[in-house]
Amino acid sequence: MTGIFKNLSETVKRRVPLKWVVIFIAVQITAVAAAFLIFGLIPVSREVKNITATYGLDKAADKSALSENADLLFKIREREHYDSFLRSALALSKSDSISLLIDLSDSLAILSLKGVFLFQTKISEIEFNKGLDKLPVFLRDSLYSGPFMVEREFASIEKFPVVVKKAPKDTTEANADNSAPVLPTQNDVFVLLAFANNLVIEINQEEDDLAGSVKAWREYKKGYSKFFKEHNLALFKDKNAPEYLYRIKISIPREDARSIYRALPLKPFVLVRY
Amino acid sequence: MKSNTSKLIFAIATAMTAAVLTLFLFHKSETLKDHSFIFFKYPQTPGLYATKDSVFISKQLKNTEKRIAASLRKLENLLPYGPYLLINTTQNKFVLRTRKEVIREGICSTGSYILLEAGDGKQWMFKTPKGMFPILGKIVDPVWIKPDWAFVEESLPIPPRNHPDRLEYGTLGDYALTLGDGYLIHGTLYQRFLGLPVTHGCVRLGDEDLEIVFRSLNVGSRVYIF
Repeated sequence: MTGIFKNLSETVKRRVPLKWVVIFIAVQITAVAAAFLIFGLIPVSREVKNITATYGLDKAADKSALSENADLLFKIREREHYDSFLRSALALSKSDSISLLIDLSDSLAILSLKGVFLFQTKISEIEFNKGLDKLPVFLRDSLYSGPFMVEREFASIEKFPVVVKKAPKDTTEANADNSAPVLPTQNDVFVLLAFANNLVIEINQEEDDLAGSVKAWREYKKGYSKFFKEHNLALFKDKNAPEYLYRIKISIPREDARSIYRALPLKPFVLVRY
Repeated sequence: MKSNTSKLIFAIATAMTAAVLTLFLFHKSETLKDHSFIFFKYPQTPGLYATKDSVFISKQLKNTEKRIAASLRKLENLLPYGPYLLINTTQNKFVLRTRKEVIREGICSTGSYILLEAGDGKQWMFKTPKGMFPILGKIVDPVWIKPDWAFVEESLPIPPRNHPDRLEYGTLGDYALTLGDGYLIHGTLYQRFLGLPVTHGCVRLGDEDLEIVFRSLNVGSRVYIF
């Protein structure tokens, strides 16, 4: 073992032959290229092929027709999408649970219960990932609008900020307890909602500074990485696993994000208007 | 021999660096996929109306607008006719409003989410229920009938049901609106705690706010708690 280290230091000390440097760089470039191919290009290529074949995009109608009535076609698509959004909102109003409506067109996140808008906040930033951005609009409207039930969720804050308190043993302890209320810690708000159709919605606080504990934020980031790692690992284990996750990120004020996350029940319904 | 060992070390170092790099890139798969989309695009899809003429599309557009107007009317009809109260339990704020305008808004106090453990297996969770609640009753000068947990919290012996020790006057303010299951909207002696989650599940309002809410809402009026 000592010999190996001795040799290593000698190797480092000596001038490394150019051939070795070239080989080293070539191997690393090959690794990067292979990783890009396996983890990036192949899943995306499969996803694009799958979408194109499933929805017959390759047999699309004549493009010349598109240019003639482009404005009118755009308008009717937008209005029909709004019509379907409203009809979905009406359908959701029959439920007894609070649901989340994300109106990207008007930049609003809305909590709705039985058709009544309980709370709404302005979305300051909207971000789509490339897959969702490139998806033909009619497919995005019909596949990723919902209403969908959240399949998996996690956040940097607790859903129920429970504080456990033991009953006081005597009246002296009880009087001491009454002097100040026990308040839960207010951490920063980052929420990830995942749906069965490969859609992921991230609701992040718009404030850059962290007001709460760094530990809570790190825990969230850990869960966040784990979520995507699990998704990518599933691709190797299961042939039918989804190749690509369509992502929407919205930013809203911290306290509004907290209100929205805490108001929503477990497995809430979410509706999106693009 | 020396040269062979160096070669081995070099091979191991190269392979390990490549493996670490690959693992790192696996970790960044989502970014790689996003970059990969640069090389792909979907065929242009004109959609359902592409082959139709502008007259047909305009007619369809008119029909869609009619459907939108009808849906908006239906949604508006879902709103309560009279005044209603919205309570945000996270921000401890309330809004008293009608379909068209806000009558009053301000701070309130809602459930503390304290789980009180009595030690003998008994426990109480002090949270405000969420959902839509109709006002079931309106009380002037309400009297608080103290539940068991109020005695446990003060470390006092729990009196039997209907015992006079359970009655407390003046604690709930001048008015109370009942929501069912023992939950009330009422006033408070602890005005300094308004805006904080400190209650045992009821909604506490400041004196002036309570009076306006009490006078605006009737039995059957809706309270939305979220």
